Amino acid sequence: MLIFASGFLYWVLIATLEKEDEEFLNSRIEVLDRILRTGSKEALENEIDLENVGFTNSQYHTYSRILDESGRTLYEAPGMDREIPSAVFPSAGRSKGKTKRWLSASNKTYQLIAAQAGSDDAGGSTWQIQVALDETNEEILMNQYERYLAAVLLIGILASAAMGAVIARRGMKPLVDIAKTAERVTASQLHERIGAAEWPRELVSLARAFDGMLDRLEDSFDRLSRFSADLAHELRTPINNLRGEAEVALSKPREEQEYREILASSLEEYERLSRMMDSLLFLARAESAQAMLARSRIDVRTEITKVINFYEALAAERKVPVTCAGDGVMDADPILFQRVISNLLSNSLRYTPSGGKIVFSIQDVDNGVEVTCCDSGTGIAQEHLSRIFDRFYQISPSRNPKTDDAGLGLAIVKSIVNLHGGRIGIKSALGEGTSVQVFFPA
Amino acid sequence: MHILIIEDEEKTASFLRKGLTESGYVVDTSGNGDEGLLLALDIDYDLIILDVMLPGRDGWSILETLRRAGRKMPVLFLTARDMVHDRVKGLELGADDYLIKPFAFSELLARVRLLLRRTPQRHNETLQVADLEIEFARQRASRGGSRLDLTSKEFALLSLLARREGEVLSRTLIAEQIWDINFDSDTNVIDVAIRRLRSKVDDPFKKKLIHTVRGVGYVFEDR
Repeated sequence: MLIFASGFLYWVLIATLEKEDEEFLNSRIEVLDRILRTGSKEALENEIDLENVGFTNSQYHTYSRILDESGRTLYEAPGMDREIPSAVFPSAGRSKGKTKRWLSASNKTYQLIAAQAGSDDAGGSTWQIQVALDETNEEILMNQYERYLAAVLLIGILASAAMGAVIARRGMKPLVDIAKTAERVTASQLHERIGAAEWPRELVSLARAFDGMLDRLEDSFDRLSRFSADLAHELRTPINNLRGEAEVALSKPREEQEYREILASSLEEYERLSRMMDSLLFLARAESAQAMLARSRIDVRTEITKVINFYEALAAERKVPVTCAGDGVMDADPILFQRVISNLLSNSLRYTPSGGKIVFSIQDVDNGVEVTCCDSGTGIAQEHLSRIFDRFYQISPSRNPKTDDAGLGLAIVKSIVNLHGGRIGIKSALGEGTSVQVFFPA
Repeated sequence: MHILIIEDEEKTASFLRKGLTESGYVVDTSGNGDEGLLLALDIDYDLIILDVMLPGRDGWSILETLRRAGRKMPVLFLTARDMVHDRVKGLELGADDYLIKPFAFSELLARVRLLLRRTPQRHNETLQVADLEIEFARQRASRGGSRLDLTSKEFALLSLLARREGEVLSRTLIAEQIWDINFDSDTNVIDVAIRRLRSKVDDPFKKKLIHTVRGVGYVFEDR
């Protein structure tokens, strides 16, 4: 860029100067021609002798020579024959001639021009005018200019390279900082953030995206570690019970009936453990997408009614009527869909006091079916809603021993809905009830 | 009935042998795949219970060899790996059923009985246990001559229990048979349903017929 620009400027300058010189030489020829036509030899000699008087300091130092038709010198500026022989001039043209650059023996540069002059009528005498313009000063100036230009160019290139490097380094600094932050981030240090505020505009979105990724990762890690802790807790309690019971049982001889009691109680614990394991395996498989969906066309109302019938006795005992409204048809795994309904209903029954009610409503919406399970139960406080679908998440820390899904029921619901490519949402108000909405694509 | 158990986990083999022997079967056990195969080829067993992971030779290979040798006895697979392709593979190789560890012994016993029951289930028109009489075709049940007022589901539940008199039925099996619910569900439901059935069938009478087997399930029995 820099080289191109300088080169162009240099070329323009040279061209302008040359044009100016040429014009000047041409104007000299015109002056001399006019004087020649007057025929006044005196005026001519005067003009030629005095051409540089008053211009001595100027760069325009000219020498003129008049030749006759046969090439003899009629008159010339003093000392011109030594400096610029007439032979070096270009041949004269009738009109404005071309100029020629020439280096004299005394190492001076001249711009030379020659022209025919004289009366236009035939038979009239004609002359040749030769004018030389001393360009040595100009040449020196140009050389100097070239040197300066080269120097400026060189410095410019070096400076811009250096500046480019500095700017690039400064520009990259935020990226380096981001990289440093990224290096600091480990599983246990997931709270590190880049902070979107201090970055140049171009990087703000990157920083935000990075922070967003960290947020999600931290959330997943939190869930995972909470899950592991909960799992350990869930396992520890029944295993502790089993171990203690067995130890105490063996500590002294007992009645047969006592042994029976102990073994039966163990069996109950085992069953709870087995169920929990089945549920966890189900979740793990659903998550790694290993589970195969046995999809078929199902009538949503039929499936829901089937599950409601299953819960009929329990619902009647709790005095909580369960109803279903609406219709819909979709492709889903019927057993998994029943499981969704069963878990939702079981949950609602658990938290709906007698006298309440549970309503399933089916709605055929755009490209899918929406099923809402709405109960008039105790409701869930707002702070629990975001984690209600987490594994082992239970609202009250004191676990209800009557429930045997160990807080996995809603996690399973969510994973089944996800497997089908659906969505799940929950709304709740304390004392008013809860409504869970699941959407299955048709 | 002669059953062979090929299972390398000693405790499992031991409780299976004990449980099945006490249920009236003659049981042999082997803890090694190669040895188990030799036994299976040598003696004409009525049923083989086969673990998948075995030292020496795995369950798949034993099953394959047996079937190639023309042995058609039913084979029940036990597996700790709840993988769909495991099941498919087992069934393709000619296994008759499979159970995933951990399983309830009552579940295993029920399946063993099913596999060994060459004759179809009892489908008598009526059934009499103590003073309870069930007329299946007319969907009627009565005790001591007075008719029991049962809903259709309650009648179905009573029929299931009575037809499998003396067999402990797990809650899972009951949910499957009566409501066609084929997944782990709230076990409370079955307990409540049984309680309601009892309130009609047992509570008004001195002799109780439906018994709870704690930790396992329910059994219908004239004790």
